[in-house]
Amino acid sequence: MSKPAKRLKFEEAMQRLDAIVQAMESGEIGVEESIAKYEEAMSLAAHCRQILDQAELRIQKIQLDAAGKPELTPFQVPESPAGEEAESGGSIGEEPADD
Amino acid sequence: MPERPPFDPRRIPRPPEPPEGTRAEFTALSVRQVNELVRGALARHLPPTLHVLGQISNLARPTSGHVYFTLKDDYAELRCVMWRSSAARLKFAPEDGLEVIATGGIDVYAQRGTYQLVVRRLEPRGVGALEVAFRQLKERLGREGLFDPRRKRPLPQVPERIAIVTSPTGAAIRDVLQALARRYPPVQALVFPVRVQGEGAAQEIATALRTLNEHAQALGGIDVIIAGRGGGSLEDLWAFNEEVVARAIAASRIPVISAVGHEVDVTISDLVADVRAPTPTAAAELATPVAAELAASLARQAARAARAARHTLDLAGARLAADLACEGLARPLARLRWRAQGLDELQHRLRHTLSELLRRAREYHNAAALRVLAFRSGARFARLGRMIDRHTHRLWRGLSAGVLRGDRRLALVLARVDKAGPPARLPLLAEHLKPVEARLRSITRNLLVHGRAALTLRMEAIAACHPEHVLRRGYSITRDARTRELIRSVRQVRARARIVTQVADGEFRATADDPRQPELFD
Repeated sequence: MSKPAKRLKFEEAMQRLDAIVQAMESGEIGVEESIAKYEEAMSLAAHCRQILDQAELRIQKIQLDAAGKPELTPFQVPESPAGEEAESGGSIGEEPADD
Repeated sequence: MPERPPFDPRRIPRPPEPPEGTRAEFTALSVRQVNELVRGALARHLPPTLHVLGQISNLARPTSGHVYFTLKDDYAELRCVMWRSSAARLKFAPEDGLEVIATGGIDVYAQRGTYQLVVRRLEPRGVGALEVAFRQLKERLGREGLFDPRRKRPLPQVPERIAIVTSPTGAAIRDVLQALARRYPPVQALVFPVRVQGEGAAQEIATALRTLNEHAQALGGIDVIIAGRGGGSLEDLWAFNEEVVARAIAASRIPVISAVGHEVDVTISDLVADVRAPTPTAAAELATPVAAELAASLARQAARAARAARHTLDLAGARLAADLACEGLARPLARLRWRAQGLDELQHRLRHTLSELLRRAREYHNAAALRVLAFRSGARFARLGRMIDRHTHRLWRGLSAGVLRGDRRLALVLARVDKAGPPARLPLLAEHLKPVEARLRSITRNLLVHGRAALTLRMEAIAACHPEHVLRRGYSITRDARTRELIRSVRQVRARARIVTQVADGEFRATADDPRQPELFD
């Protein structure tokens, strides 16, 4: 049985899954192989599912260090088009209620 | 060019006064003096800045960086020069035949004694310089094949990491990130902040593209690059029309989506890029699948795999059953069938024997009954007959009960054999069947033995009652010789009647002499 490699990219896993399903549907494989392939298909599907379950976009910023090499740092998404004014006090609708 | 001092005729070196009386001696000017005079005259009489409309011809761009050309119209030509410092600011490349408006001042080229327009700015006539520059670069890169559809790299179906080359504060980055988060949050977004307009922007963008390609590995792999910015004027978007950006996009091994401005703006970057997106949001949408759709397709594939597996197993099951039905492949089952056949035979024999026994019992019974009837000897024979009936019945019942029991067991076993799938269970069934069969045989044997014994006994009892035995004991049977009618009463016999008397070993004829009522008989 092939390893359900954690490093397998979604697209690769999906392609492998498609190939397995096609092979299984061709009816040209034996019972034992069919069971093995089924198990691999399920493990691939689970792997893909796990990738899809990542629900929050991860954002990083690429910065060049002194040597011109890129490094990853956290990135702050600009809040509003008027970025310069954003410092003065949050976004609309979040104004403090107390006077 | 050094700043030219204002023309001052006094600065022209005065020729020496001609000596008195020498006619031939007059004041001569040097060539340089003349040209200086002309320069001064022109400067005094011409505005320092002229706008000249004409068509470029005889264009020359030597390595010095200066640009030389002639402006001409239908009637005249004007020599022009554009010094390197001015030429460097050109957005487009001057070319022969181009109608332009040249702005500059007239100067004298003293060495050749010609005047020329020193061009400080050059604008294509009718359209902006940027439009011309755009057209020119487009033509040039097009000739090089940079827009060839065959050069376009396909985008990955499902990217893991997307780099976004744009301003970190603009609307574009917000739009892209929002679209990514909405469509396919599993992707990782890497923002490469650059200036997207103004001096040096093009260089920054090009450097970013090169850096991403060079360091893709170190950055964990990059599947696709989105380069772009929001909408703006042609000048605002200009960085994406510069050759350095176009070349960097063309050189990128990572597929590049160009997303500059609004739908209507098409830049050189758009043409070189592998995919052109009308807006930054569209770029994010082109770069990513919809997670929900992927999940659905994933579920579909898993279901198909399950269905295919089940189908294969069903098929295999059916094939196995077929194989088992085929003798050669399923010895255990064949043996079982053979055994079952043996049982069938046994059952058949049992039934046959039973009916044979019954038939013979009835025969005996009937024969006995007939003979008994012949004697009309009443109660005793009737009792005997009933006894025979009873025993026959019991025999039959015992036999049939045994057979039926065997039958039921057999049917049960056969049903289980028929249902039996995997060959592993067959030996088990065979084991199970063996005692059933043995018991059935023994029941049958016992029934037959006991049945025969019982029947023999009864037959002997019946035989004991047979009229022959009675005759042997000294009784005889007498009939009318003519009618063979059994004579039971003296009143049946007339005097001189012929009679036949039967004894144990034969009969004799006689004549009745004196038939009388047997009053003395008691």
